[in-house]
Amino acid sequence: MESSVGIDVRSVSHTYGARGGREIIALKGIDLAVRPNEFHALLGPSGCGKSTLLYLIGGFVPVQTGAITTARGPVTGPARERGIVFQNFALFPWKTVRENVLYGLEKLGLDRKAREQRAREFIELVHLDGFEDAHPSQLSGGMQQRTAIARTLAVDPEILLMDEPFGALDAQTRRVMQEELRAIWQRKQKTVVFVTHDVHEAVFLAERISIMSARPGRIEHVIDVRLDRKAGAEVMKSREFAELSEQIWELVRQQAIAATRGTV
Amino acid sequence: MSATPRAYVIGDFLIPMLVIGTSLAAWEATAQMRLINPFLLPALSDVVVRIGKDVGSGVVIVDLALTLYRALSGFAIAAVIGIPLGILMARAAPFRWFFDPLISAGFPMPKIAFLPIFVLWFGLFDTSKIIMVAFSSVFPVVSAAYAGTQGVNKWPLWSARSLGATERELLWEVILPMALPQILTGLQIALPVALITTVVTEMLMSGKGIGGSMINAGRFADSVGVFAGIVEIAMVGIVVIRAVEMIRRRLLAWHAEARVEA
Amino acid sequence: MSTLIRYVPIVIVFALWEIATRFGLVSRALVPDLGDVATAFWQLLTSGELLFNAARSLGRALSGLAAATAFGVVAGLLMATIRPVRLLVNPLVQVFYPMPKSALIPVVMVWFGLGDLSKIVLIFLGCILPVVVSTYNGARGVDHALVWSAASLGASRREILTEIVLPAAMPDILSGIRTALAFSFILMVSSEFILAKDGIGFLIATLGDGGAYAAMFACIFTVAGVGFGADRLFGLLMRHTLRWREQ
Repeated sequence: MESSVGIDVRSVSHTYGARGGREIIALKGIDLAVRPNEFHALLGPSGCGKSTLLYLIGGFVPVQTGAITTARGPVTGPARERGIVFQNFALFPWKTVRENVLYGLEKLGLDRKAREQRAREFIELVHLDGFEDAHPSQLSGGMQQRTAIARTLAVDPEILLMDEPFGALDAQTRRVMQEELRAIWQRKQKTVVFVTHDVHEAVFLAERISIMSARPGRIEHVIDVRLDRKAGAEVMKSREFAELSEQIWELVRQQAIAATRGTV
Repeated sequence: MSATPRAYVIGDFLIPMLVIGTSLAAWEATAQMRLINPFLLPALSDVVVRIGKDVGSGVVIVDLALTLYRALSGFAIAAVIGIPLGILMARAAPFRWFFDPLISAGFPMPKIAFLPIFVLWFGLFDTSKIIMVAFSSVFPVVSAAYAGTQGVNKWPLWSARSLGATERELLWEVILPMALPQILTGLQIALPVALITTVVTEMLMSGKGIGGSMINAGRFADSVGVFAGIVEIAMVGIVVIRAVEMIRRRLLAWHAEARVEA
Repeated sequence: MSTLIRYVPIVIVFALWEIATRFGLVSRALVPDLGDVATAFWQLLTSGELLFNAARSLGRALSGLAAATAFGVVAGLLMATIRPVRLLVNPLVQVFYPMPKSALIPVVMVWFGLGDLSKIVLIFLGCILPVVVSTYNGARGVDHALVWSAASLGASRREILTEIVLPAAMPDILSGIRTALAFSFILMVSSEFILAKDGIGFLIATLGDGGAYAAMFACIFTVAGVGFGADRLFGLLMRHTLRWREQ
């Protein structure tokens, strides 16, 4: 079934019911269309439900109201087509880097040689050659996140979901990882949904940005980022980048203030 | 996963009641229908009747009083020796050096194995039992008192010192109150240990007390009596644990713990 | 070397003991001479009596513990992942947990008499709850990001349980087994004092009844030492299995 959209989110709402009876409306009437192979950012203040939306797209949380569809059909549960990368890396700590990357490959039914070959390929892609036998506890945050990215990309998902993947890293590592991610995405085109609260990060990485309101989350604006996709990190010094970032920050600012005050 | 208030009530209250109720009903039904030899599994009704009879005749009260007397005596000794020892260990290096290996080596040992030694030294009556209980219970008390005193935050200590507090005032008015939660935890662990050790010791040495009565019932193949004893011990255990929790809440009302729980 | 130095105070205690008996500070009848204890130990060892009984005891304890571990881990994992199982089993766990399993000694006596089975069942019952509870808590505490990552990498529910939840819960599970190990020794010794025809607890009781106090002391120290050694060994095993946790 050919689809002109990579991910189609229609009228999705989501509520969390707390034990004491207080219900929290995380998302309200989300309509979102992510194009195939598009790098799409979900930008918004803390608690706006952007992660929840990501988990719904991934199929990790069941959809309550509305529908989410990809080219493969409706989303009913987790699947290989939708890979995910978490902020806390979610590496299997008892496995080495290589074993982590091999995990998904083992489920693919490839023969041993092909698996090892593919694992090596992706470990090199994220510049971790030499660290294959290290355990996550021996790696820095940046290296752990690279492992997570390699692990997810190795099974070749059509859609890559990223939940504030660089949020746990220090500012310098974060910049390096952003540039590397951009480079990887330019080489291996995929549909990416990238959750972040960092405006510069969103403008640098994404082609389109959905700006979400504070809780209950709605999509307030969708912005096209018309920057040179082929350019490297130097694009961040350009005037267009600065202007666009300011513009978007203005839109986000209201929501951020509302979120800090706890108002809905 | 969202859980509505209704699901909460069902999950946390109704279902446990249902499960336990069904288990008890199944127990009674199995016994009534003679599915299992009544010797192996006496009817719930018989057990309840026996408990009622024993309570009425005062037998249970006597046994209970005896067991509690032994348990609490041993527990008290463990507390009186253990708490100061733990505090000393935290404050004075020589004590720590000497006792730390003894305590940590003793922890995983089956201390009940030492009972014959205590019987040899202290005879067949209450004394040996109480000392056995004290010996078993002292370890968690020392350990907790040590950890609690050691972990006392430096800042209140330094503040108090700079305000002119003497060492003794420091101990009683700063260190002990701050170590109190952990000391109480140690006592909370030691009390069930004391109870179990008492019951087991009574079983091993026969005589009166709940343990003694239970093992006698066992020897006379009085399975109703054995099961009655188990129910009694279980209930005593629950009551004791609840009582201790209440006392802890009272004593630590001023502590951060109480605020967190509220 | 530093580990050995740590235990010097124990040597000091033994030295004090020797001094007390040597100088008649305590009655020799009550506190046997250290030398006599050592001699008795050697005799028991070479006659095979000690090893035979120790082997019987340890065999029973380890059988009960192994069965408790197998059932307990499975039960804990199922409870953590399948809601109906948890709802059914949890109340029973809550009810039986505070009850001292030593209280079951008369029960297994009634059910199984003096043979091996009564002790194995007792140890099984005493050890299963710590394992179930710690497995359950460990499995519940697994970061859901790990589970979701595995799911999106193509793992089935069963694979997630055995390949992700189980290893992730291992620190807690091993802690629970360590507790159960200590319980197994306590139950082994207590049950053998009361209802046994062989085993080290039985041996201790027999020697005590017969007045062979030096031998009795020797056996008691042996079983205490083995209990201590088993715990330390398990600690080493834990550290090795969980070595990925360094840092």
